[in-house]
Amino acid sequence: MSSKNWGKWLLIVLPLAAAGLLLWPTINYSLLSSERAELAADTSRAGREALARWDVDNKEAFESARAGRMKLGLDLRGGAYLTLEVDVLKLIESSADAEAIDDDFRSIIEETRKATSNSDVDVLTVFLEKFRARGKQLINYFPAAELTEQAVEEKLRRDATGSVDQAMEVLSQRINKYGVSEVSIQKQGSRRLVIELPDEKDTVQMRELLQQTARLEFKRVLMDRRMVKAFYAIDAAYKDYKSGAAPVVADTAKAADTTAKDVAAADTAKKADTAKTAADTGKANDPYKGLSEEEKGRRIIADFPFSYMVFGSVAANEQSQPQQFDLVGLKVNGVTPEQLPEKGIYMFRIPAQKLQEFLKILAVPQVRAAIPAELDILVSANGNATKPGVQPDYYEVYGVAREADLMGDVIEDAYPSFDNSNQPVVMMNMNAEGSDQWARITGANIGNRIAVVMDDRVWSAPTVQGKIPNGSSQISGSFRTEDAMRLAVVLKAGALKAPVQIIEERVVGPSLGEDSIRRGLTSTGLSFALIILFMMAYYAVGGAVADVALLMNILLTVAGLAAFGGTLTLPGIAGLILSTAMAVDANILIFERMREELYAGKTLKSAVDQGFSRAWSAILDSNLTNIAGAIPLIIWGSGPIKGFAITLLIGAIITLFTAVVVTRAIFQLLIAGGATTLNIGQKRTA
Amino acid sequence: MDLIKKTNIDFVTNRGFFLRLSLLASIIGMLLVLGPEIPGLGLPRLIEPGIDFTGGTQTTVSFANTATSAEQVRGALGKAGYTSAEIKSFGKDGDFLIRINDVQDDASRVSADLVTKLNAAFSKNGEKAVILLGADNVGAKVSAELATDAAISLIIATIIILLYVAFRFEFVYGISAIIALAHDVTMAFVISVLVNKLGILNLELSINSLAAYLTILGYSINDKVVVFDRIRENREKHRGMPLAELVNLSLNETLSRTLITGISVLAALLVMVFLGGDVLEGFAFTMFTGIVIGTYSSVYVASSFLIWYTERVKHKNVGAVAHTEA
Repeated sequence: MSSKNWGKWLLIVLPLAAAGLLLWPTINYSLLSSERAELAADTSRAGREALARWDVDNKEAFESARAGRMKLGLDLRGGAYLTLEVDVLKLIESSADAEAIDDDFRSIIEETRKATSNSDVDVLTVFLEKFRARGKQLINYFPAAELTEQAVEEKLRRDATGSVDQAMEVLSQRINKYGVSEVSIQKQGSRRLVIELPDEKDTVQMRELLQQTARLEFKRVLMDRRMVKAFYAIDAAYKDYKSGAAPVVADTAKAADTTAKDVAAADTAKKADTAKTAADTGKANDPYKGLSEEEKGRRIIADFPFSYMVFGSVAANEQSQPQQFDLVGLKVNGVTPEQLPEKGIYMFRIPAQKLQEFLKILAVPQVRAAIPAELDILVSANGNATKPGVQPDYYEVYGVAREADLMGDVIEDAYPSFDNSNQPVVMMNMNAEGSDQWARITGANIGNRIAVVMDDRVWSAPTVQGKIPNGSSQISGSFRTEDAMRLAVVLKAGALKAPVQIIEERVVGPSLGEDSIRRGLTSTGLSFALIILFMMAYYAVGGAVADVALLMNILLTVAGLAAFGGTLTLPGIAGLILSTAMAVDANILIFERMREELYAGKTLKSAVDQGFSRAWSAILDSNLTNIAGAIPLIIWGSGPIKGFAITLLIGAIITLFTAVVVTRAIFQLLIAGGATTLNIGQKRTA
Repeated sequence: MDLIKKTNIDFVTNRGFFLRLSLLASIIGMLLVLGPEIPGLGLPRLIEPGIDFTGGTQTTVSFANTATSAEQVRGALGKAGYTSAEIKSFGKDGDFLIRINDVQDDASRVSADLVTKLNAAFSKNGEKAVILLGADNVGAKVSAELATDAAISLIIATIIILLYVAFRFEFVYGISAIIALAHDVTMAFVISVLVNKLGILNLELSINSLAAYLTILGYSINDKVVVFDRIRENREKHRGMPLAELVNLSLNETLSRTLITGISVLAALLVMVFLGGDVLEGFAFTMFTGIVIGTYSSVYVASSFLIWYTERVKHKNVGAVAHTEA
């Protein structure tokens, strides 16, 4: 064999070796996992021990095979896929100085939210543009150590980028601590995280685990008659806001439809309302007198869009009987907030079915502006639900200090436990610094209440009985043991700097995944077998040569995909089908040309040479056209389109190699071996 | 084996007819598919974009009792408060796709809740009556993005293909190719929408199904480039031959290759249509129709347009020259 032919052999063998090497982790992984599955099937004591031993022995090999293997997409394997978006704008908003926030700032935030809601553009950049377009200065709104525009902008930039990285880190910690295996979490674009779970079963718990910001705060409870005043202020602000925004007709119609029901509900809640705070003197001034129940309800909701939901009570001290009142009733009876007792234990609550409406109104920026700067109005986390899964009848409304006395970052450890009445709770321990502060705060507030607030909901608001020196605290609510466990994990991993939101979720159940991969693989295999047989039948030896190249093509394309860390998905299979079709086409082009040359009476060698060189321009152009088309799809396309284009790109490049270079090398080797005629399915000529 | 003899079929004489036919079919098809419902004619709205492009939640479930009807499912869901749910059967008997577009709060809870509610409604003796096959929840933000990303990347890919073909051949070849590609995707899309509406296969327009259309584009451009390549070669070989004749000769010379490649790929796809299962069958069907259409369009759209356009331009030039001479 001449040295020239060695080169040709290498041309065939080397790529195959490379493909084998690249695909080895994939093969090894499937071998190891079936070995493991076999062991795991034996649930006897001996079997479990064998499994544990296997896990120790093969840990490294298994891990490295897993890391290097070709991944299958969700559509071919089952599992769950979540896209989370970090709300960077919220971070910007909350890092602004609360007292500096004005209407301009709020509308800039609003505009930025609109502008960034439909694309993955950089939120901070858009915010800064809008901010500067109005000629505003960052230093007037954001606290910073060094008061220059540059410094503030840099700080915001650091915080924004940091919040996404931090979210990724915190979420991975939560996932790890929660004990879910094989979860991949990746950053996508500027503010998104993509999480893939192998098992779809846990998605409900998983969602809770991921979406919780877990921003824990300890805030003083501020409940007195100022709350009532604040509620009325919210009514006014919300009415202004509503009339500013054009009223929607459909909304009003709907409102009218529900008012009668609402008022009825409110009335039932009032049934217990025996003691009246104020004298019944104002009755004559009732502006709703003489109206039908329905009309009255409509008018009340229009006049008190917020406070009609709120019911309050006040007691002089813990022993005395609380007096109940409703806010509409006070107004109707002409009782001003100043006439309510100055000192006393105030409580407020809203019916459970009003929760969404209540929170919606509180989220309106103009409404927030109407609440006194030192006060924040929050709702309890679980309402009066005594058991998990039970729907509460009402939720408590709390007034708390806007400024937190202590933040959750002092929490060093959190673990689930049970309280005196055997309810699951989460116990928390603080670090040394936190313990000191906690001791000081509790010491200064004996007899007052301190709310444990997480993600802007009040979990508990106990009255401080005495100074707590050891930095211990607890969260209680009506939760199940697993909720307590999850909460402990979340609290220990720490809070997210910016809230996250699930914006896309795809779940493929194991039954569909298994079925689709089995049928998909069988039919794809059959299709390829059909093509291979057809090529052999139609082009005889030539077809067999093309088949070798075709198999090599598929192997190399898949290996190439594995090497780039790609994931094989359904669209990827489409790309593979197209590139295979083009590889087949390339060989058909070559063989048709060769036949033409043979019919023209050329020798085998010259027919082979002519066949390849004549077909080359068509093969090159068609593959390059597809490569040219695939590149923009990779750059600008998302998910599935990208997956398709990557496989196509790899496949088309490899086609140029296998269908032309490799088949030609094989033909030349055959000729060098002494072949003068070759059956490529041409008609026998005499 | 050598099945296709040297042919001399006349592909080009009726080019005007085929061009008009294809144009008409594309326009009527598009109007039919994209148009609104016309109750007067009993014509429903045909296109059903999946939640990938509209946002919302889509849950696929399988009933243990395969005799369960869509009506029963609708009844049970209505009672559970999901009055706006769309229910569609797909795949095996007892498999349903439940879609809710206007989800108010946490969309991702909906699918779990649906399965629970359906199990409560259909379960007897506490056995599991329904299993969750899959769930997709796509936020409005994501769906808008998927649509724009798909559109932008497709437009740029088209421009690049046009430029490449124009650079390697002539500009008019690029234009001919792009027109034929537009025709192929349009017709394949129209057929898919109709087949989907008839309920034969689930061919809802999703981000995954876009890959099938991209495959059609890739196959079709490959087919056109092969023909163009032969025209380029024959132009050198037979100088002075009129374009129509040149094109016809090239089409005949490449016919054997066109048919052999087409048949082998179509046969492979047919296997997937019948055996590919829920996931691959729709995919393979769209590709199958697209490849048939793409093969047709190489001959009757791309080549016909190439001749028509070149002759029109030449005619004008000749006219202009005659004008100056006069």
